[in-house]
Amino acid sequence: MNGIVFDIKEFAVFDGPGIRTTVFMKGCPLRCQWCHNPEGLRPEPQLTVSPARCLHCGKCAAHCPTPGRCTACGACVAWCPLGLRRIAGERATPEALAAKLLRGRKLLEESGGGVTFSGGEPLMQWPFVRETVARLEGLHCAVETSGYAPDEVFRQVMDVMDLVMMDIKLTDPEKHRHFTGVDNAPILRHADMLCAGDTPFIIRMPLIPGVNDEPAHFEAVAARMAGAKALQRVELLPYHKTAGAKYGMVGMTYAPEFDVDRPVKIFTEPFDRRGIPVVTM
Amino acid sequence: MTERVRALRKLIVEDRAHHAFRREMAVDPAPYRDPALKDYQRTALRLKTFLENETPVILPGERIAFLRTLPDLPPIYTDAEWAGITAKHYIHEQGRVCNLSADYERIIGKGLLAVLNDIDAADDGSNRDYFDAMRLSLRAVLDLAARYAAKAREEGRDDIAQVLDKVPAHPAETLREALQSLRALHFCMWCEGDYHNTLGRFDQYMYPYYRHDLQAGILTREEAADLVTEFFLACNRDSDLYTGMQQGDNGQSIVLAGMTPDGGDGCNELTDICLTASAELMVIDPKLNLRVNARTPLSLFEKGTRLTRLGLGFPQYENDDVVIPGLVKLGYEERDARNYVVAACWEFILPGVGMDIPNIGALPFTGVVNRVIREKLGAVKDMEELKAAVREAIFAEVRAIAASLRGLYVIPSPYLSIFFEGCVEKGRDIAGGCKYNNYGLHGTGLATAADSLAAVQTMVFGRGLAPETLIAAMDADFEGYEALHHQLKYECPKMGNDEDEVDDLACFLLDAFADAVQGLRNERGGIFRAGTGSAMYYIWHAADIGATADGRTAAEPLPANYAPTLNTRLNGPASLIRSFTKPDLTRVVNGGPLTIEFHDSVFRDQEAITKVAQLVRSFVTNGGHQLQLNTVNRERMLDAQKHPENYRNLIVRVWGWSGYFVELDKCYQDHIIQRVELMVGT
Repeated sequence: MNGIVFDIKEFAVFDGPGIRTTVFMKGCPLRCQWCHNPEGLRPEPQLTVSPARCLHCGKCAAHCPTPGRCTACGACVAWCPLGLRRIAGERATPEALAAKLLRGRKLLEESGGGVTFSGGEPLMQWPFVRETVARLEGLHCAVETSGYAPDEVFRQVMDVMDLVMMDIKLTDPEKHRHFTGVDNAPILRHADMLCAGDTPFIIRMPLIPGVNDEPAHFEAVAARMAGAKALQRVELLPYHKTAGAKYGMVGMTYAPEFDVDRPVKIFTEPFDRRGIPVVTM
Repeated sequence: MTERVRALRKLIVEDRAHHAFRREMAVDPAPYRDPALKDYQRTALRLKTFLENETPVILPGERIAFLRTLPDLPPIYTDAEWAGITAKHYIHEQGRVCNLSADYERIIGKGLLAVLNDIDAADDGSNRDYFDAMRLSLRAVLDLAARYAAKAREEGRDDIAQVLDKVPAHPAETLREALQSLRALHFCMWCEGDYHNTLGRFDQYMYPYYRHDLQAGILTREEAADLVTEFFLACNRDSDLYTGMQQGDNGQSIVLAGMTPDGGDGCNELTDICLTASAELMVIDPKLNLRVNARTPLSLFEKGTRLTRLGLGFPQYENDDVVIPGLVKLGYEERDARNYVVAACWEFILPGVGMDIPNIGALPFTGVVNRVIREKLGAVKDMEELKAAVREAIFAEVRAIAASLRGLYVIPSPYLSIFFEGCVEKGRDIAGGCKYNNYGLHGTGLATAADSLAAVQTMVFGRGLAPETLIAAMDADFEGYEALHHQLKYECPKMGNDEDEVDDLACFLLDAFADAVQGLRNERGGIFRAGTGSAMYYIWHAADIGATADGRTAAEPLPANYAPTLNTRLNGPASLIRSFTKPDLTRVVNGGPLTIEFHDSVFRDQEAITKVAQLVRSFVTNGGHQLQLNTVNRERMLDAQKHPENYRNLIVRVWGWSGYFVELDKCYQDHIIQRVELMVGT
């Protein structure tokens, strides 16, 4: 079995408890307008090019075996004199990935940390993630997910993971479809499963100016979380302008419909009132 | 920080109003250059002349006096005399006593009058001139202290006068007296012409006075902290006059905590007070080192990390578990080894007993490996043969360095000598040696050397690249060899990513270095110590190497100290620490830290500080010897190059010390900016 990983980040200090290694799984079914990891969207390996310093020397094109139709074969990568070209997405077996992660085990365990699977949407490659976790010898494992997955997958996730960090981006179904491209019904259903279950979880709310930074959204999330016994806390993630930085690298245009310069508004009162811990990250 | 110290900080750091007291010393002809005088007589007479010409100044609100008013210390030799000496001798750096740690503890505790008695007792007439030079020096120091006391009285500062009536002549009893005594003694060390000599284990030797004052009800903890903060600030009054290789490189370092000579844990309340004082003052002196071990509580690492977050480039961490056994292996007595301190940068030295010269030379790892690859690669049949050739070349280079260090001359320093074991008793100057007389060699560009060997292993012996193609590509600085350049740079393992293929080669290189110095003796009877530092050699050694086999182009500098090659794609700090703790570092304890740069956004909250502290602790538990963390913001440094006027207080770590960014030469600024490309971001 193969999985496709587009990055592994060591010493992740904001992706769960303790010091963590975060594995970024490639591919995501959502198309959030504020996504800051555009190289994680498509499920297959792809070429990325940092355009800013390109000399337009043409060496890459000269060594392309399929001009005009990139197959992410990587033939051009070595020819860029500035090293600006890379293939995002590397295939790995669960055995190989687990072995790599276990090299850092001592520090992860000493600090009460572990491994976090992020993405993209890690649940798109759930069998691979599940098999990798099975080889991590009890190391603390967490997942950062949009919650958009089949119910059966999500049940397994709650079973296997020590911590689930799940986004609730928009509670309004229409707006959710508009800004992320998918229906939020399964996401909210999985939020309810988390609230009813025993698996420790964190709800994350990306705050996007003019999209969801309004009292009604905070109230809706807070009301949904009331009484959830395994909820650790709610994390607020204010939009950061640098989200658009990597779009050029994957040949995409960053064109959000919201005002990227407007500071977000934060309403913690609905959480405070219900005694739900909330932190702004 | 109290309002009083805040006002002093404004005067000294922001307004620099104390510079108004500075003036030139005009003594012509200089009596201390009388050709009939011996060198130590000249040093003593110059100290006397200089201190006599110093004008006592009491700054408003200060409690610890002594301010330098004469910026320039004239040399004891004429240019012609000095040229004659340098033609005949090996001269280390500026030729004066440097990079030692004086035993302030002993002298503060007994007072200079008692030392004068010791001198009289030791003087049997056979070495009268030298003892006279010592006496002359001490009386000059006492005289300046007396004039300071008189000046204080004149200005209605009887509190200062009373302290100076007592110290440094008599033993200090209170913390304030001990700090004033240290200030005076350290001040006069600079006036003797010695430099880069450190302040040592400040929290250890000041602790008895602190405890005394608290028990006697003389001071509260807060009042003690106020005095310590003022003392730290005082280290910045004259430090612009204390130049080393670059502005800020002045050796005013302090070592906190660590094992006591008896084997106990030295961490105490003053350790804490010092860390806090440094964090509040936000100035480059004194530079703090923190001695730790595998059992050090996480809370101390957290305190250190909170200081790191401020971007001063310190504390630097030393691991007792590695350094002490390493020093014992080199032949230092255990009690002395437990008392080690850190020299101006990071070399491990012994207060009061060591006349080691820990930075007398450097083995250029990259240069040696590069030369062997260029000369021998075509002739060797496998990696083992290449490694054997490298080992042989390292031995030859080390022997050549050792052989070149003959005929050392150091200008004597009778005053500083009283702080060292046996000098008074034997009438011997510290310039001539002490209990330990070892020479230390840095090892520069280790990672680039290991990466170069790993690239050869991968490409030549693994993938069948023709040796002549590799050499031709290196000669062409990889122009016309883009694909090969990419493979060398990105497809070969690099030190810092926890890949055994290359890390094993680094272990091999360090072992060869440690083996090569074994058995060598210097002309003073001392041994040679191998190390992992670079000092300014990383800039010097990068010139004339050309491109290296790891894909480094000719124009790219070498890494400073014990660090990965610049522009390496790193997995992250955890792999970095695992890579750099694989070698047996007890064998290379001359010093030289692993440096990790953090973007300032990493330290967002208490949780993040705990995690950085845990990372630091992992370096220690994995067997690392020395670690230095920087908090940087690349954008700010780039902007500071464009608009230096806006960044007068931007502090950065250079090679073994922190300085003000805008005061550095551009090549050092650029190197720091390149170095931070390897940093840990968010």
